[in-house]
Formats: sequence, C-alpha cells, structure tokens
Amino acid sequence: MSSLEAGADDFAFEQPPEPEPLTPASPRELKRLVKDWRAGRATRNVLQAMSDAYVAVFAAVMIGAMVVNVILKAQRTVAECTSPTCLSARALLPWTAFAATIAVALAVSRLFGPVLASAAEGFWLLDAPISRSQLLRSRLVGAIAAAFFGGAVIGGLIAALSGSGLTEVLVWAGATALSAAASVAFAAAQQGIERHRLTRFATYLFGVLAVGALFSVVGVAAGWFSLGISDNLGIELGVIMIAASVLVLLISAVLAGLRLGQIRRTRLLSGGALVSGISGAFYALDIGLARDIVVERRAIERGHVHPKRGKGLGLEALIWREWQRLWRFPQPLLVLAATIVVPYAADALGMSVLTPVLAALALFGATIPLLNGLRVLTRTGGLARCLPFSLARIKLASIAVPAILAGLWAAATTPAYLGFGDGAVERPVPQAALTAIATAAAGLLAAVRWTQAKGVDFGAPMVASQAGAFPPGLVTNLFRGFDVCIITTAPLLLGLSPWWSLGIAGIAAAILLNSMDAETLRARQAEQQKQLEAQRKARAGAAAAGKQRKR
Amino acid sequence: MAKRATILKVSGLSRAFGPNTIFDKFNLEVRTGEAIALTGRNGAGKSTLLRCLVGADRPDDGSVEVCGNPMAETSPEIRRDVATVIDDLDFFPDLSVVEHLDLLARAHGIADPDEVVDEVLEEVQLVPQSGQLPGTLSSGQRRRLALATAFVRPRKLLILDEPEQRLDTEGVGWLAQRLKSERQKGLAIVFASHEPELVDSVATRVIQLGAPRG
Repeated sequence: MSSLEAGADDFAFEQPPEPEPLTPASPRELKRLVKDWRAGRATRNVLQAMSDAYVAVFAAVMIGAMVVNVILKAQRTVAECTSPTCLSARALLPWTAFAATIAVALAVSRLFGPVLASAAEGFWLLDAPISRSQLLRSRLVGAIAAAFFGGAVIGGLIAALSGSGLTEVLVWAGATALSAAASVAFAAAQQGIERHRLTRFATYLFGVLAVGALFSVVGVAAGWFSLGISDNLGIELGVIMIAASVLVLLISAVLAGLRLGQIRRTRLLSGGALVSGISGAFYALDIGLARDIVVERRAIERGHVHPKRGKGLGLEALIWREWQRLWRFPQPLLVLAATIVVPYAADALGMSVLTPVLAALALFGATIPLLNGLRVLTRTGGLARCLPFSLARIKLASIAVPAILAGLWAAATTPAYLGFGDGAVERPVPQAALTAIATAAAGLLAAVRWTQAKGVDFGAPMVASQAGAFPPGLVTNLFRGFDVCIITTAPLLLGLSPWWSLGIAGIAAAILLNSMDAETLRARQAEQQKQLEAQRKARAGAAAAGKQRKR
Repeated sequence: MAKRATILKVSGLSRAFGPNTIFDKFNLEVRTGEAIALTGRNGAGKSTLLRCLVGADRPDDGSVEVCGNPMAETSPEIRRDVATVIDDLDFFPDLSVVEHLDLLARAHGIADPDEVVDEVLEEVQLVPQSGQLPGTLSSGQRRRLALATAFVRPRKLLILDEPEQRLDTEGVGWLAQRLKSERQKGLAIVFASHEPELVDSVATRVIQLGAPRG
C-alpha cells in the first residue's frame, strides 16, 4: 500500500448532505439578465445618441443618396450599351459575383467559426448547466442574416452596374443573398461535426468558378468564343440558383441547428478571440496587425509541418526559405495567378485608361500574402537583429521571391496592354511590356510599403479635430500602399510614357528598400544633435577659459 | 597568460523617461570570459539598460562599443558578434522550430548546420516539437526556442534579459550549466536575472541596479 493510499484510509470526513436539486436558469433568462445589466449602464438611448451624432447621420444619408444616384446613372448608361463586350459582361458578371460571394462567405465562415462566442461568454455562460444550442442559436441566425444582406448588396450592385434590368437585378440580388446565407449555414453544419474539408473544397471550387466566369468575359470581348445566352435564360438560371440555394440553406440550417450543442468551447472561443483581436486592430486602424492575427491563426490551425532542410548560406539561405514557405502555403500563388485576369478584364470592359491602376491595385492585394517574411522581419526588429546583415539587405532578400513572381506576372499581363477589347488603347509591344513592368513594380512596391507599416504611435503629438485628438498616423496608415500604387501609375493614367512610372517606381524602391527608414533617420538626427550640443558646450567652455586667461 | 580582450565597453550611459532617471552615467567594461549579472527590483532599469546595450532603445547620453565598434543595431558586424534574447524576439508563423534554427545557422555561414542544430535542439528539449509551428508552442517552449536561437550561431557577446523566465526548475539548472560553460569557453555575457541560482553559478560580477527594497 502506498503512503498516499494509507493517508486516504486514515482521513476521516463527514459525508455532506445530498444537495437540493436546483433548476438552472434558461438561456433566454440569462441573456435577458445580461441585457438588463448592459441597458442599466447606458446613459442615453438610441435617439439621443443619434441626435448627438446628427452631423454623422446627415453625412451618411447624403453620401448614401449620392452613391445610389451614381449607381442608377451608371446602370442607365451601361444598359444602353449593346456591344458584345457589354452583353457578355451583363450575362457573366452576375455569375462572377455569385461564385465569388459564395467563396468568400465559406472562407470567412471557416476562419471565424461561423458560430462563435466571446471569452467572457465562454467563461460565464458556456460553463453553466444550460442548453448550449439555445444559447448559440441567435449567433447562427445572425451570421446567416449578415451573409444574406451582404450577398444581396453585392449581387444587386454587380447586376445593376453591368446594365441589367430591374427583374434581373432582383433575381441576382436574391440568388447571391441566398447562396451566401446557404454557404454560412453549410459551414456551420460542418463546424458542428468539426469537419472542414468539404467547406475548404467548396471555397476553392467557387473561387475557381468566379475566376473562370471573369475569364469568359475576357474571352467573349476578345472574340475567342460567343456565349449565346439570352436575357431570359439568364433570369431563368438565376431563379434555378435561388431554388438550389434555398434548398441548401434549409437543409444546412436544420443540420447546423441540431449540431449547435456539439461545438466545443475551444472552437467557439477561438473564433471569438479572433474577432476581438481583429476588431482591436481595426479600432487602431492597424490593418497589418489584423492580418498578422489571421496569419497566426492559420498557422496554428496547421500546427505541425514536415521540416525541410534549408539551402545555401548567408542571404541565400533567407531567399531559399522564402521559396520553401511559399510552397508550404501556396494559396497566395493561386490568388496571384487569378489577378492576371484583371488587366484583361478591365481592358475588355472598356476601362482601358484605368487598366494599369486597377491591375496595380489587384497585384498590391495579391502580393501582401507573399511578403509575410518581410513583415515578420520588420515589425519588431527582434528577428532581424539575429541575422548578420544590414536591414537593407534583409529587405532585398525577403522580396526577391515576390519580385520574381511580379516579373512573371508582368510578362503574363503584357498582352493585355496591346489593346484588347472594343475601343481599347493600343500600344506597340515594347511600350506594352514597359507598361506591364511599371504596373507590376507599382503593385509590388505598394505591398512592400503596406507590409512595413508600423502600428500607430499613440505617444506621438496628437492632431486636434472635431471628433477629438488623434495621432496623425491613424489616418495615413489607411492609405499606405494605395499611395504608391496611385502615384506610380499616375503617368500611365495621364497617357505619359511608362518610363515616367518606372522612374517613380525606382525612387519609391530606393526609399522603401533602403535601411534608411524613419527610425534610423531619427536616430541619426538625434546623434547629430548630440554632437552639435557637445561641440557647442566645448566652444562655450573654450570661450570662458579664454576670457579668464585675458583677465 | 594572454590578456583578455574587451568585448563590451559602456561609457557614461544615461536614460530617463520624463522626470524619472532610470540610470545615470553608467559605466561597464566586459572582457572575454566574464559574465555580468544585473540584479535589482522590478523597474530598476535592468531591461532598459539591456535594450540600450543591444541598440533596441536609444540612451539619452553615453556610448556603447562592441569589440571596438560603436553600437548600431543596424550594423551587420554588431549583429554577427552579439546574440541577444530580449522580449522583442519574433518568429515566422509558418516556419517550424527546427527550420528557424537551421535558417539562423545558415545565415551566419555555418555550412553544415545539422549537427549544431540537433545538439541545441536536444539541449533545449524541443526535439519532439521540432516540426511544430511557433504559434502552437507553450510560453516555456517559446522561451526555450528563443534561447536556442542564441546558441545555434557564432557569438562573442551574449545579452539575455531574464533568461530564466517561464523555464521550469530543470530548465533553469540546464541554463545555468550552459551559460557557465559558455563563459568558461571565453564568451562575454551580460544578463539580468531574479534567479539566485543562475546569478551565483554564472556571474563573475554582480551589479545591483536601483535602490534595494527598503
């Protein structure tokens, strides 16, 4: 017998009386209680808050009215167009929006849950002896409803802007809304049994379909093939999509509802933690931080990898690791490949002048995930300090792989600048190639600028405004990257030679990739200031000594 | 007997946050084979001093020299010679534990890093976690990985801020042995610590910062 067991035998205790069975509160009662507490702390009601913020409300109404007016005007103008390009866009763009919305709804649902709970709810409510499914039902309904309204706006807007009539707009708004809602319900049903393979597969499938639909627009505009879809067929297909979406929505919502009680607390809370982390980052308008949180979350989901041996020595080792990391998480490559269609589609849709700007913006978004290495090496400085290279060389090594990919992207998009759709700007081959290179440089450098952005410094001097004081970086952070895109492609927009854009890109690269970042410059300035102060003191000391000698 | 070279020279270092002076006219010289322990209560300025020594923070006055070169965090020479473990170490979210160490060793020019990486991994007891991504490590395991980054590469000066943090008793014992052996092989070490065992067994000199708790 072990000493522990002997101790247990010797230990005398009194059998406690059987506790009276208690009736736990219902989830509804608990929710009402929390709501009462929250309402009790409120110092003003909604109407009072709105009357205080009347300027913001008035501005929102004004801007909303202007946006609706612009959309209606654009719809009327585009509706008059009967060229093959316009007709193909009218027939296919709603499909692109439909498939892309499903892909995005599934991806976002898988990332966040879609059913989630905050840490406080996890600690105080989910541990209570109550029906978890009743507690979470409103979350599921809320997520489905949000997807429905988001989908309706996107579907309706794309259909309207491609010149469709009212019936088509309504049909596509309904189809996209219901498909988005069905996607969230489907992801929730999968969440209940902790399986995500189908959701992931569907995400990729609909993503590919969206890109395929966009390619078809380009193909029709280029005259490679014709679709031969009548307006009526488009509406009929839209109605079939509505019926299919309703079916998937109903089945998935019922399954998700039945499985709500099975979702583990950890899974619910990780979605909540992600939301609170991201909302915290967005509150400080630190979008880089928000992305870091998502990247970290994805890596944690993967958890374990088969380690690969590195290659090369010195900076070469860093470049090789970039390749290896990209092959390990290759999704950014798919996104990059998908953005190749953007300049072709923009040209095919008659937006020839805007093509470089739109293409650069698309590449900017697609390149950010390729710069995770640069992000980690520049966000704190801790890891860069471990490497025996200057910051400038580390930056160059980190962007070597994305730069090669941007070069390939430029080669793949060069034909788009030769003049593609009806009334497109036609350029000779060398100029088209230079335009593509300048556009790729703009997208890449914009992504580099965005990636290197530091969080807002709340310790810096504030700027006074009607809404109170705020650090200047809070606003400029929002435009980081976009500024490089616009400034670099501005000469192309104005019809100037692409060499102007390449010159601007060269200056931007020199600033962004040099180790002379703002912090180093400040340090050097402080050091020079210190030396000047020391020289001034020495001069003053020498002058005082000279005076004493004269006396 | 060969004269020991000066690795770190700190002259008249001062740092203040507003009206609070953290340290004023601080001088220090560390030679090869010396280990300096910085002790003192919380807020005494140990971490601030170490941050100034590695160039992560700028002192208001004074200078820091490493192997005769003025301290500049961006200098490749300084980065080559100084291994640091302070709180701002970051990890690639998509590189495994062993890949981090392999990358660092290769970046520092170690042609065949497998042996040294395996040895360090074994020492910090992260072999079972070698394929894990950093986000899945516990805080103690992350600390061990941070320490491993300092041992997997060539170094002349080791600067550590409370290296015993989040380590278990066995881990602190291992760290003490490792640092002692590093010092005996001629490495210069400056570390801040609250752990008497670590200070007693590693330090050749102890510097108490701030006023002792009254």
